[in-house]
Amino acid sequence: MRPIALRELAFSSQGGAAARAPAAEVDAAGDPRPVRSPVQARDIAMCLTAIALLLRPMGPWFVRPAILAVAVLMILSPALLRSALAWGAIAVMVAVRIADDWPLADNHVYLLGYWAFAIALSLRARASADTLACSSRWLIGLAFVFAVLWKTMLSPDFLDGRFFRVTLLTDPRFGDAAQLIGGLSSGQLAANRKALELLPPGAELLDPPSIAEPARLRLLASAATWGIVALEAAVALAMLLPAPAVGSSVRHGALLLFCGTTYLFAPVAGFGWLLLAMGVGQLDDRQTVLRRVYVAAFLVVIFYGEIPWAGLALDAGRG
Amino acid sequence: MKMLAPALLVAVASTQIALSRTFDLTAWKGGGFGMFSTLDHAGYRGVDIVVDAPDRSESLQVPASIELAVARAAACPADRMLRAVAEAVVARERRYQRPVSRVTLTFWRADFDRATLRPSERPVRTFVYDVP
Repeated sequence: MRPIALRELAFSSQGGAAARAPAAEVDAAGDPRPVRSPVQARDIAMCLTAIALLLRPMGPWFVRPAILAVAVLMILSPALLRSALAWGAIAVMVAVRIADDWPLADNHVYLLGYWAFAIALSLRARASADTLACSSRWLIGLAFVFAVLWKTMLSPDFLDGRFFRVTLLTDPRFGDAAQLIGGLSSGQLAANRKALELLPPGAELLDPPSIAEPARLRLLASAATWGIVALEAAVALAMLLPAPAVGSSVRHGALLLFCGTTYLFAPVAGFGWLLLAMGVGQLDDRQTVLRRVYVAAFLVVIFYGEIPWAGLALDAGRG
Repeated sequence: MKMLAPALLVAVASTQIALSRTFDLTAWKGGGFGMFSTLDHAGYRGVDIVVDAPDRSESLQVPASIELAVARAAACPADRMLRAVAEAVVARERRYQRPVSRVTLTFWRADFDRATLRPSERPVRTFVYDVP
């Protein structure tokens, strides 16, 4: 195994040969300048996926250490990072993790399995980068089609606003945002949570408490309801419409906008990292600016998840 | 080759929709990408357990040892899942040398009023397991 650091040289398209080749240029002091080979977008996509595997360890004891070990080795070894066998193994281990406690795995674990499978297949294909980009577009597009389908046609309580009205009040992960943006006081929030507690079957309160929903909170719930549907539909269309109809910048813009806004609130950073890694998988090697934007977005989603921004803003507002 | 993984996604997600319609699989689970689309999730679903024997009829709180089985059954209250819960309950009762001849499981979920948001618990399915 050839140990490397996460430098561009490590991911040169010529592998180790380029890194060891004599430098063609010298600097002002006469020392050889390192050869700067282009980083392949595909490698960055795979590396970000491996990092995502490490950031959110998953699965029972008999797959978790193996997934973590393979992910570490992939980051250290470009050969393993580009190994179809290694990605196939990851896909199998993710499938085992899903089957082990079916149906409790979250949806992004399924998407991770498909993505690892797609990477493995692309690494066996002649046009590896094109194959991966195509799989990435279809996977993201279809996942968002099903997400929109559930929200607009299959669920009885999403479009009428009930989902976000209740979730903003009862899910502790959204409590700070409900106060900061929705204008609820902490007392109102606590009273609402009490009022929304389940009673035993057949039980009924003589004087049921009413639920406080300031206009700002109703507006936030409506904006979240329609905003998420609009964003998801936009990503689905951008990914699935043929290239002449949707330019690359629109496609990536939609995905980045979705990740930049949704994961500010949604407590599922793992899904965000995966989508961003898959987005990089659609870039060609000349789109270096977009690649940097994706990596920055990956970091931003880390910060979203780790910094309780809404709570800090509330504390600052209270003085 | 490039369409194999997307085809797998469509197959699993379509199956998830079918299971949600036939076995009440929650939209949030099963690979159908229905998360954050409905209140019908683990927080508002559950399984009540009643144990019967000649000298007892007792409602049980879900013990930690069978929490996982109950979570799976609440997410997808199919016969197989509910039977697994019932068998785990019987095994636990026998470990504590308590008599058990029947386990009755009631799968319920919460509905929220469209206007007032007031929740109500609605029994959806009852599963009776007679101990062999």
